[in-house]
Amino acid sequence: MPYIAGVDIGNNSTEVAIAEFARSDEARIVSSSIVKTVGIKGTVRNVLGVIDALDRALSPLGIPRKDLDIVLLNEATPVIGDVAMETITETVITESAMIGHNPSTPGGMGLALGTTIMLEDMASASPDKQWIVVIPGSTEFRVASEQLNRAMSAKFQIAGAIVQKDDGVLIHNRLHHSIPIVDEVIHIDRVPVGMPAALEVAVVGKTIEKLSNPYDIATLFELTPEETRDIVPIARALTGTRSAVVIKTPRGDIQERRIPAGKIKLIGQHQKVDIQIDEGAESIMEQVVKVSPLLEIQAEPGTNVGGMFETVRQVMADLTDQPVSAIRVQDILAVDTLVPQRVRGSLAGEYSLGNAVGLAAMVETQKLPMQRLARKLEEEIMVPTIVAGVEAEMAIRGALTTPGTKPPMAILDLGGGSTDASLINESGEIKSVHFAGAGEMVTLLIDKELGLDDLELAEKIKLFPLAKVETLFHMRHENGSVQFFHEPLDPRLFGRVVVISENGPIPVETREPLAKIVEIRQKAKKKVFVHNSLRALERVGPANNIRLISFVALVGGSALDFEIPRMISDSLIEYGVVTGRANIRGTEGPRNAVATGLVLAYEEKQRN
Amino acid sequence: MNITEDMVKEIILEVLKEIQGDEKTAARPAGSATQLQFQELGTAKVGTNRNEVVIGVPPAFGVAMTQTIIDIPHKEVLKEIMAGIEEEGLKSRLVRVNKTADVGFIAHEAAKLSGSGIGIGTISRGTTVIHQRDLAPLQNLELFSQSPLVEKETFRAIGRNAAKYAKGEHPNPVPVRNDPMARPKYQGLAALLHNKEVLYVRPDVTSTELTVQL
Repeated sequence: MPYIAGVDIGNNSTEVAIAEFARSDEARIVSSSIVKTVGIKGTVRNVLGVIDALDRALSPLGIPRKDLDIVLLNEATPVIGDVAMETITETVITESAMIGHNPSTPGGMGLALGTTIMLEDMASASPDKQWIVVIPGSTEFRVASEQLNRAMSAKFQIAGAIVQKDDGVLIHNRLHHSIPIVDEVIHIDRVPVGMPAALEVAVVGKTIEKLSNPYDIATLFELTPEETRDIVPIARALTGTRSAVVIKTPRGDIQERRIPAGKIKLIGQHQKVDIQIDEGAESIMEQVVKVSPLLEIQAEPGTNVGGMFETVRQVMADLTDQPVSAIRVQDILAVDTLVPQRVRGSLAGEYSLGNAVGLAAMVETQKLPMQRLARKLEEEIMVPTIVAGVEAEMAIRGALTTPGTKPPMAILDLGGGSTDASLINESGEIKSVHFAGAGEMVTLLIDKELGLDDLELAEKIKLFPLAKVETLFHMRHENGSVQFFHEPLDPRLFGRVVVISENGPIPVETREPLAKIVEIRQKAKKKVFVHNSLRALERVGPANNIRLISFVALVGGSALDFEIPRMISDSLIEYGVVTGRANIRGTEGPRNAVATGLVLAYEEKQRN
Repeated sequence: MNITEDMVKEIILEVLKEIQGDEKTAARPAGSATQLQFQELGTAKVGTNRNEVVIGVPPAFGVAMTQTIIDIPHKEVLKEIMAGIEEEGLKSRLVRVNKTADVGFIAHEAAKLSGSGIGIGTISRGTTVIHQRDLAPLQNLELFSQSPLVEKETFRAIGRNAAKYAKGEHPNPVPVRNDPMARPKYQGLAALLHNKEVLYVRPDVTSTELTVQL
């Protein structure tokens, strides 16, 4: 009995399907396997991964490699994606006009208005003015509170205090009269002295109300309408913090500055458009739709976005042995995000959320050197190897083995580097598109928005649900359910937010609460996968209309995700489309579609 | 660092003196820092208050020994830990663990007595552990094993983090300096301080509740 093998080399995984094949009879798939792809897809290094995958699939059958009749390789879609992130705004404070931050424990509560003064100068201060006392870190909290108490009983009017160390509660607990205290102001030496200042501390669980409202600031400092206009950025920057100080300095200012991030040129079949990256993702994607079908996207050289495009093209050029000039970027996905950034010129090391644009770019070339790969594989395993079919066609053929499906049907291939869609109509014609942006983009967004700087952890956050370890014997999962343990958990997990990975819980070291991390994760997935799915289906749908597609099957690695299929399904339900994860051959789930398709197509060809 | 024969002899003599020394010499504070004024309030009980962190110290702490291996007075040690706890809005309770000089067991005892289940154990030379009552004694939430690297600011941060654990927050672990020379440089001294610490241990005496004038 001859055996044939279908091999699908993807960006992330290499999959194999083995079939028993008789000319008289239908092919019967007897085994399959999946391994991680070795090297970039389409390169000779893939051979190692292919051999490994073949061995794994063959070992349960107990037949040696040389007994294979033929190995069928897919004509891999030569798609390579890359992702990058550009910050387009930053907050700059000139002079020391404000402090707005969230020290975990400020002291007291309420609003205070007065003139700033150093603690040591308090003795010589005027008794009929309101003062805001500045306390440097060199003064111990006991000494500071004693001096404040003495000054207060000597009829000096102390309205509030600004403290360098984390001493707010300690000082407040020792005062005879309660005043609001803002602490953890790292650069206290930069706080201007002798200036009118307002200070506000909100109660636990609330945020400040007065200093985040421009009219309240105007009331406190008796500002003119023109001046009020100037302090709007301050009020905005202070929104959502638990404590804040605003100091009225002669030229104090805070600006939101836009960083020139470079521009890109979209070249379509009919028109060309230049667009600045800092206009944001929405207007970039609007233009992409307007200009499509896109032929090429160029980036301004010498800018950050230019550098990113160069890298993508260089990788592709190396891979295909073509000059860099022949490589064209054919699609981009732009996504708006907020990235925590250190405020420049800040007094307390504050962070603000800067706007950023995440970009995924994709390159498609004529042909990957698959023939070379096939020859190499043939040499290594001594079995005839041919490049047998185009990936998109094979995938849809494989997907059609899902019980309950028939043409016309569309598939969405949710991969690591690109999101692909193909549609097969009643007459068997197949139409397919490839779009930039998939799993890797989601990972990047999670990493940047949480400020993790750890892509591996971001990947884990993407793949697995979260939980909070509340005691050593129980954790609360993100859906609210509680799980108990007989053995105590690892003490390093105590009190932490953890990712429930396949190797057990992994702590996530960030100050963000669990709900916030979940929100960032889900938003990232929606921005990339839901957006791209709609975009791709619109393109392959009859008359570019998603409503005319009745079945959509999800395949590829990201279709295994625990929430992406539901998100896509939720958004497609509006169009009346039946959406679900494919179940290849009724057993494989969304995996092995291409490998299965290869075997089936070969069998059909042989029979005719 | 070269350890000459003379130095070894000196250390051995020091140790012998410590071991054979009479009550009077041993009871004299090792450093120049002043003794702490403890007031004993009887046997320590398990707390019911969820907003407390218990600090456990060995019998020699603040009495027979008054400063850490890098000369931080024990008064400062307690002040800083307590300030760290107070800043987070929690209360501290002080307990003398009589039965052992092992920092892990002291911290575990403190955690078991603590209403929040979080305890801090700190021994005379400065080694410190943050513990939780459900853990095994030799596990810990945070361990500061190299006493020469535990500084004044570290004690404040330890108090703060312990309080945060008690509140159910997830603090980032206190950063610990690493110095490969700390061990060779201080090992001899640490051994001596340990010996001295052990002298005062009373294995059959239960833990004592304390207050202290700081």
